[in-house]
Amino acid sequence: MVNVDALTPATTERAAPGTRSAGTAVDGRARARRRQAVVAYLFLAPSLLFFAVFLILPLGFALLLSMSRWAGFDLGGIQPVGLDNFTGLFADGSTFLAPILTNTLLFALGTVVLALAGSVVVTTCIDNLRFQGLWRTLYFLPIVTTVVAVGNVWKYMYEPGGLVNGVLNALGFASVAFLQDPATALPSVVVVHAWASVGSAILVLTAGLKSIPESYYEAAALDGAGPVTVFWKITLPLLRPSLLLVCVTQLISGLQSFALIIVMTKGGPGDATNVAALEMYRQAFSYGHWGPASAAAFVLFVVVLVITLVQLWIFRRKGEDA
Amino acid sequence: MTPAHRTSGLSRRHFALGLPSALLTSGCAAPHQGTGRPGDPIVLTLLSHYASGVLKEALQAPVDEWNDSHDRVKVRTKAVEFTDLLTTFMVRQAAGQGADILHPYCLWNGQLVQAGVLRPAPREHAEEITRGYSEAAVDAASVGGKVYGYPTEVQTYALYYNKRLLREAGIDGPPRTWRELEETAYRTARRDRYGNTLVQGFGLSTADDSTTVGQTLALLNAAGGRFVSEDGRSTTIDSPAGRAVFELEHRLVDRGASAPGVNVYKAFRSGQVAMVVSGGWWTGSLKALMGKDYRDVGVAPLPLPEADGKRATLSTGFMLGVNAASKHPRAAWEFLRWLNAEKVIVKRAMKGGTATRMSSLQVSAGSLTGRADDMRTLLGSHSDANLGPFLDALAYSVPEPNVPGAQQAKSLLRKNIEALWTGQQSVDQALRTTRRQVDREVARSW
Repeated sequence: MVNVDALTPATTERAAPGTRSAGTAVDGRARARRRQAVVAYLFLAPSLLFFAVFLILPLGFALLLSMSRWAGFDLGGIQPVGLDNFTGLFADGSTFLAPILTNTLLFALGTVVLALAGSVVVTTCIDNLRFQGLWRTLYFLPIVTTVVAVGNVWKYMYEPGGLVNGVLNALGFASVAFLQDPATALPSVVVVHAWASVGSAILVLTAGLKSIPESYYEAAALDGAGPVTVFWKITLPLLRPSLLLVCVTQLISGLQSFALIIVMTKGGPGDATNVAALEMYRQAFSYGHWGPASAAAFVLFVVVLVITLVQLWIFRRKGEDA
Repeated sequence: MTPAHRTSGLSRRHFALGLPSALLTSGCAAPHQGTGRPGDPIVLTLLSHYASGVLKEALQAPVDEWNDSHDRVKVRTKAVEFTDLLTTFMVRQAAGQGADILHPYCLWNGQLVQAGVLRPAPREHAEEITRGYSEAAVDAASVGGKVYGYPTEVQTYALYYNKRLLREAGIDGPPRTWRELEETAYRTARRDRYGNTLVQGFGLSTADDSTTVGQTLALLNAAGGRFVSEDGRSTTIDSPAGRAVFELEHRLVDRGASAPGVNVYKAFRSGQVAMVVSGGWWTGSLKALMGKDYRDVGVAPLPLPEADGKRATLSTGFMLGVNAASKHPRAAWEFLRWLNAEKVIVKRAMKGGTATRMSSLQVSAGSLTGRADDMRTLLGSHSDANLGPFLDALAYSVPEPNVPGAQQAKSLLRKNIEALWTGQQSVDQALRTTRRQVDREVARSW
């Protein structure tokens, strides 16, 4: 790697003013740097344009809509309403804060905890097995399966006469109304989302696991450390960067998720599994309330941003960069 | 790469560059609308939910007939599943790609009119619609006193019952009052020792909005209640009639006669539901799916709170209207008149019997239209006796409210009904919450 600090004094010395040739050289370098910058911007232009068209413009439009009343078709019909849409989200009787936002957070946190714990255990187990590629492929399969298929299969399994209740009955337990009981509906969907997310987490954690030097394990073995000690003292701490990545991406995906919920419960029973993204979708595309939908989107954006920053801060305090 | 490779047809590079360009071009291209000049006919698009099976074929037949007999105006159908229909209207309209002719669920009319999507029917068409259809159908196709389209299918709600299950429970016939309905439900319901439902006495289902809300609103109407006030700006669910319906459903769930977790559509045809309230469209579907077991299915008018009460039930429906953004509204209305108002001789009816093409289409698919005269012509004396109660109900049914915000009000009602069924809310709480939420949301839509 080039040591920038070591090069800087020499560069400064060569650029010292006082002579005509030195000034010309400085001008030449500045021109070259400008040329490089122009070329760099030219190369960046397509992606900047892409971001401008598909990110910045919609973001600005959404911000405008979040402070407007609009039915969705005629741009001339946008009526400014100030912060009414935001205050409406938190007004007395609104369901946005509770249970919708609460459900969103519980859904995301539940998914992260289950997926993280599950993937760490599975990754560690696979690392000690033969045919590792086969096991990883099996666990990765839910990722390449569409959410609609996953949701429908699990929905049938959860049904009163479905596979899960069949197993419970065979073991002598009474049936559970997994998706029909408000107390069990959200946890039931969380389990499915976590199960479907484990595959991608395993890939990231496997990469992290493979990057841990074998010498650490050899040293631990020489010191007589058992598998549990090795896991807690070596594997888990050195997996922290991978865990951070999994944690952040899973949490963001959990906070934004709604496809699985719409397939499995449509947000019900009542509002028991309703989440912010599903509510936004309904407000905009079913009811034509683009203002409240955009306001809800901005609130969710702030929630995602704050939670992600907090996660990064916690992991950085523990000495790891994202 | 060798020169020979470079000169032989389309290179990989050209293909890689060409494919995205072609996709982009085709994606951005608007559908060909035609100009109407000689040699370039007007092409009208019709967006419907008749996306598959019998309904798709039934709609395509008259469209093909129109296209074969008309040179200047052609009609092209586009279809999506019903669950995607409203979203498709909204997204395509926002993108400037709305179809010329729309086939909305009448519940959405207030919302679509408010957003400027639907065009009011010209005077001569409005007069034809008002004259030719039942009052419920005309109300459903109207917003603020203006007619916006030709009603197509009209569904009324009645009580389906399984004759075998009632007979096995020692019950002679379908219930006529709510007291009889409850007794029949408790006597027919059965569960196994693990709590699994073997037979629901009265099917209450969370399968979709239409099932959950439709059956509740039908019972509400039968009790003399209404969901939305006369001016359409608030709900009147928190009334004695609303309380009576919520209490009835709460008791049925609480005492084990109903199991809302079970998909009632599947369970009824498997002989696991004794009674359920649903729309007339279901008869055609049940007949096709149940085979010889269909003989156990009976349909009766909706039971009333008291035997001597005034009959009422819910009616829902669809209509065909013209997009406000259509460039060829006159041609679109002309096609709709041809399809919905022009009477043609019906082969399978009595000699010389006539009906509109749309009525024939609906009956062939096992559905009903809002034209009672057509229904009587098409059904004849050998038709399914189970359609009779639905046909009779056209005379006294209450159309589903279609004010701005109606879809949201329906969703909010559904959430609170489910919360009541699952014990999250008491009857009082469910009534109060529904009123507060619906009043707030419906007010925002005006």
